[in-house]
Amino acid sequence: MKTWDLIRTANRNLFRNKLRTFLTVMAIFVGSFTLTMTNGLGDGMRDYVESQVKNIEGDRAVLVRKKIERPNGGGRTEDTQEYKESSGNEGELDFDPNSILMTQPQIDAAVRDIDGIKSVTPRYNIQGEYISLEGGKKYNLELGMLSDGLIAKTEAGSNVKNDGEIAIPIGLARTLDPEIGRLVGKTAVIGYKIPDGSIKTMPLKIAGVLTKGFMTNTNSFVGAETARLIRIDQRTEQGADKFIGFTIQMESTDAAKIGQLKNKLDTKGFEADTVADTQKRTYDAIGIFKTGMNLFAMVALLAASFGIINTLVIAVLERTKEIGLQKALGMGRGKIFAIFSLESVLIGFWGALLGALGGIAAGLITNKVLLSVYAESFEGFSLFAFKPLSIAVIMLLVCGIAFVAGVMPAIRASRLNPIESLTYE
Amino acid sequence: MLEARQLSKTYTSDGVDYEALKAVDLSIGDGDCLAIVGKSGSGKSTLMHLLACLDVPNGGNVLIDGRDTSTFSEKAKNTLRNEKFGFVFQQFFLNGRDTVFENVVLPLKIRGASAADIETNASAALAAVGLADKKQKKAKDLSGGEKQRVCIARALVGDPQVIFADEPTGNLDSTTGAAVEKMLFDLNRDRGITLVIVTHDDDLARRCDRVVEMKDGRIVAEHLTEATAR
Repeated sequence: MKTWDLIRTANRNLFRNKLRTFLTVMAIFVGSFTLTMTNGLGDGMRDYVESQVKNIEGDRAVLVRKKIERPNGGGRTEDTQEYKESSGNEGELDFDPNSILMTQPQIDAAVRDIDGIKSVTPRYNIQGEYISLEGGKKYNLELGMLSDGLIAKTEAGSNVKNDGEIAIPIGLARTLDPEIGRLVGKTAVIGYKIPDGSIKTMPLKIAGVLTKGFMTNTNSFVGAETARLIRIDQRTEQGADKFIGFTIQMESTDAAKIGQLKNKLDTKGFEADTVADTQKRTYDAIGIFKTGMNLFAMVALLAASFGIINTLVIAVLERTKEIGLQKALGMGRGKIFAIFSLESVLIGFWGALLGALGGIAAGLITNKVLLSVYAESFEGFSLFAFKPLSIAVIMLLVCGIAFVAGVMPAIRASRLNPIESLTYE
Repeated sequence: MLEARQLSKTYTSDGVDYEALKAVDLSIGDGDCLAIVGKSGSGKSTLMHLLACLDVPNGGNVLIDGRDTSTFSEKAKNTLRNEKFGFVFQQFFLNGRDTVFENVVLPLKIRGASAADIETNASAALAAVGLADKKQKKAKDLSGGEKQRVCIARALVGDPQVIFADEPTGNLDSTTGAAVEKMLFDLNRDRGITLVIVTHDDDLARRCDRVVEMKDGRIVAEHLTEATAR
């Protein structure tokens, strides 16, 4: 029998009992629908997070922190700790804040014998008060430092490159001038507090307007050298040379050298991550979430696959005589198996197709509703994202599950004895 | 040429053996018209099933054109039944929801014949049984006689050497039964198709050239009929 004839025969067989086929397809539909939705939700979240974190790049930068040593021997433990009178004031951290600080000589010593390092800069902790443009209104300023080697994407202008420059978030930029492009190159004045309580000002050239993201929604950034100057003004005597982190900029993106650097730092009691490492951790978390959600959908599909088995087992019984005749007329086992398997896969296919279409429709409608309700806080965010590849994988998976479900009934059909089948009552 | 040599078949059900066929020898020449008669349980259907390679004997051999079928693979037997044999059953085994055409072309579909061959052969087979005008009718809407003629067309469509007919008139009244019989005999006479009819109808058997009578799994009598002399 030709393949096309096999498919047509299988399809015709399915249409013989429309209600039963429809109900079995519906069971698969539910599974496929759920899988499309859960997967779309995972992809939607990933897309959102990606859009938020990808605006900071830096494939040559390694961020260094000190490993946190906990007084009770490190690591999280479920053992309840005994209260100690002398252990300190209430609300105190369970580790000494000084233990996470480090000095430039410590880092320099740790990375001394690694080559390919371009610069080692501390992450200066600085605070801003306000920003104003050309003597205009003062606006709140949240100020941070953009480490050397990190690149923040911009909507207008460019990343901070030189001393005396600042990059501002888009919200602030629109407040200063709705036409954000005009801000680039203008000089703004920022104010920041110094230890005696007074405010010191500094003129900075606006280098660019930052693209939205988790870190850049409200923060303005200055470069390392500008940050150092502000830090000098703001620092107190205590811990003046200690920092919460360092950024090491490599001369190239050589993965082997970066790996070597990370290992070295690890053995010296530091945690070292690239931007990609941090992003990967976030993606992994979403991946685990997505897998968990998809498992629920798989349970629905598993239940539906029993529906397919049931439908086909009944079909084999109903069509025993027909199978007997086909065998008598010379149809081989393989072809009988193929017809039943195809019926199974077709049920899976229709269920998968309808489920995917239904899931996409439901997801897109939900996106629209959410956007109209929460447009403000979730600009550019879609709860559900549907990618052709994901949908194709889901459909293949459902068809595959349907095929597996059909194997047992199909084997039963293919093994029927023609004489017994023809006389079957 | 079909030949049975010391053919035996034993069925086992619930641990009890039942000998349906006991060392039967039979030779059927090309173009023969043979009736196998006997009461139910005499082994006549079993003999036909073994001759048609629908079942496997426990002892003895079936030879087709001198070749021992016990050496054939499953696939070779399928091909043999599909290309060399045609079948007509008492119960028709038509698919009522399909059209007459679709029922008739089943052997060709199984064979994987081209659409053009299927069309040509089906038209010829339906014309031969006088149902050319019922081609697109649903099989379930036909009368009993018409249904059996569709079955004959289905047996004929693959251009077989042998047609096995198991009680072909068993479900028909005498008038339509006679028409179906005539059709089968005409195929034997005009086209030289070997005809093996299993029946308990003595009238039908008498109209064949040769009658083999079976009882308790053995051939107890074999004779030529008056029809042969004529």
